[in-house]
Amino acid sequence: MSDPSSINGGSALAMVGKDCVAIACDLRLGSQSLGLANNFEKIFKINDKVMMGLTGLASDVTTLHELFRFKNNLYELREERKIEPSTFANLVSSTLYEKRFGPWFTGPLVAGLDKHNKPFICGFDSIGCIDYAKDFVVSGTASDQLYGMCEGLYQPNLEPEDLFETISQSLLNAVDRDTLSGWGAIVYIITKDKVIKKVLRTRQD
Amino acid sequence: MAGLSFDNFQRNKFLVSKGFGQPMATSTGTTIVGCKFNGGVIIAADTRATAGSIVADKNCEKLHRLSPKIWCAGAGTAADTEMVTQLIASNLELHSLSQRRQPRVITALTLLKQHLFKYQGHLGAYLIVAGNDPTGAHLMSVQAHGSTDIGEYQSLGSGSLAAMAVLETGWKPNMTKEEAMKLCADAIESGIWNDLGSGSNVDLCVMEVGKDAELHRNYLTPNVRSEKLKSYKFDRGTTAVLRSSIHDVLDVEETVITFGNDAMEVDA
Amino acid sequence: MNGISVDINHLKKGEVSMGTSIMAVTFKDGVILGADSRTTTGSYIANRVTDKLTQIHDTIYCCRSGSAADTQAVADMVKYYMQMYASQLPIDEKPTTSVVANIFQEVCYNNKDNLTAGIICAGYDDKVGGSVYSIPIGGSIHKQDYAIAGSGSGFIYGWCNENYKPNMEKDECVQFIKTALSEAMKWDGSSGGVVRMVILDKNGVERLIYYPHEIKV
Repeated sequence: MSDPSSINGGSALAMVGKDCVAIACDLRLGSQSLGLANNFEKIFKINDKVMMGLTGLASDVTTLHELFRFKNNLYELREERKIEPSTFANLVSSTLYEKRFGPWFTGPLVAGLDKHNKPFICGFDSIGCIDYAKDFVVSGTASDQLYGMCEGLYQPNLEPEDLFETISQSLLNAVDRDTLSGWGAIVYIITKDKVIKKVLRTRQD
Repeated sequence: MAGLSFDNFQRNKFLVSKGFGQPMATSTGTTIVGCKFNGGVIIAADTRATAGSIVADKNCEKLHRLSPKIWCAGAGTAADTEMVTQLIASNLELHSLSQRRQPRVITALTLLKQHLFKYQGHLGAYLIVAGNDPTGAHLMSVQAHGSTDIGEYQSLGSGSLAAMAVLETGWKPNMTKEEAMKLCADAIESGIWNDLGSGSNVDLCVMEVGKDAELHRNYLTPNVRSEKLKSYKFDRGTTAVLRSSIHDVLDVEETVITFGNDAMEVDA
Repeated sequence: MNGISVDINHLKKGEVSMGTSIMAVTFKDGVILGADSRTTTGSYIANRVTDKLTQIHDTIYCCRSGSAADTQAVADMVKYYMQMYASQLPIDEKPTTSVVANIFQEVCYNNKDNLTAGIICAGYDDKVGGSVYSIPIGGSIHKQDYAIAGSGSGFIYGWCNENYKPNMEKDECVQFIKTALSEAMKWDGSSGGVVRMVILDKNGVERLIYYPHEIKV
């Protein structure tokens, strides 16, 4: 309540499947208990095979999205190639650590496939410590609930269709136990030849 | 552009003054140890990262490479140990390139202590530094405020008391490599079981004089999660979907074609 | 900050401190420095075999008390200054203890708002033989025949005052320091471990160590 990263609310998570990754978030934007918008997406496309989730203080979410879009554009102009997810993760890390003594109030996630189409996911704390995970990463006001759901439901090597069900159910049931998250949800499944976006039907209370 | 930026500091101080708190950084409530033996030095660490009472990472890496033969174990604020270690690692590399000599442990330690002292304890990095250099094997530790210690065995982090109890009872002069590995692993395990901030596995790095450093990632795994007896896989179509859209990715594949003499004979 | 009442007794949260018993005593042929070996973080002994006797130049040492980080940083600075200074002296000359002590004083005084450092600087040089300078918190400097400092020193002011004799023999001086520090370590909870000594005279440096069982109190 008194923490800037839980004023606006919102949650996100990412999971690894068989030759695919999934990243999902809710759509709520609020001011404490007052809901303001149900179309606030917290997942952003970096390139065809890298996406990032940004939860926390909404102003920082928007600012950082613009900052990373800018930094990624510069990278593509300089390098003339798409950024790898692990490279992007290190870019996020140093960008956050730059503000070590006045951090952005946000908990980013990165999910994507590398140049060999190998899945990559990771999470960060607000000052840029990377949490490399083989299974799943979570972030946001429902992160405690998400940890519980994911520990229970996750299993390795899920096909894209099955991974979608697992990540969706983990998110939906976690945000239902968080007053600051919910109000709609979206899921992205990234595979080697396509990115599928799905808007979920959720509770609206 | 370069270096740290304090742009948000004023804003966040204002937010704090209005009753908003600071966010919780991932800390490595940790057990790390180091121990010398006859002909080298060993460091070891547990693999739990925590954010408050939540286990943020069950198998994180707390053993960092400063140079090929100098490694360090980190406790405290996870981001600080990681970043300070990367900074000093690159400064060591540049230094050894310009001096055309192998980096020394004392150099690494001095760079670390001077950097940490400059930040007056605000960088929460507590490190055990160990390794081989032309002057032999060394084991030292640095604390966040910039003080350093030297010793035959060391422990740091929230589990340092549990680990030190094991080191103080088990340590003896002139141990063999195997004895020292066992002692370090036992000390970390003591932290894993008895300290709430430490858990999961034991990582270990052996630096023997005249040999390459060998990292034993997950040297012990006393906390393997038992496999689920049944699957929680959902039937496809369980989740209600309002809208769905597909973005096709055009993948550019590069293949290398070698031109041999045979390949050139087109009209054979 | 109020220039009159400066809070000098604070340690930063979680800082490693040396609640210490240290002393340096001149004797007939030179000077002897002594110290306990305990470093603490709160009530935990972070190091029980610390070396608080730090070399600044060939036969000039210092005893450190206060914050471990601060005193190490100051000692490193002065050591660096003396390397630069010594390299510019004529080849047959060496820095004197008074020069080193005055550089310590300069650093400690100029940064007194940011330092928790109580230092005894002692050394042997060919010009004046053994000499002892005390540089307590605040950055003043006091030349003395002998000096005691650190949290444990409060317990032995009386004893030292009664038993110190000018121009002692070496063995007598070692015994004086050993007894004084043993007593300080006995009564002060922040001091303990082994007794370390450094003897500085015309022959150079000699180090002594006394383990707990060798100290009878």
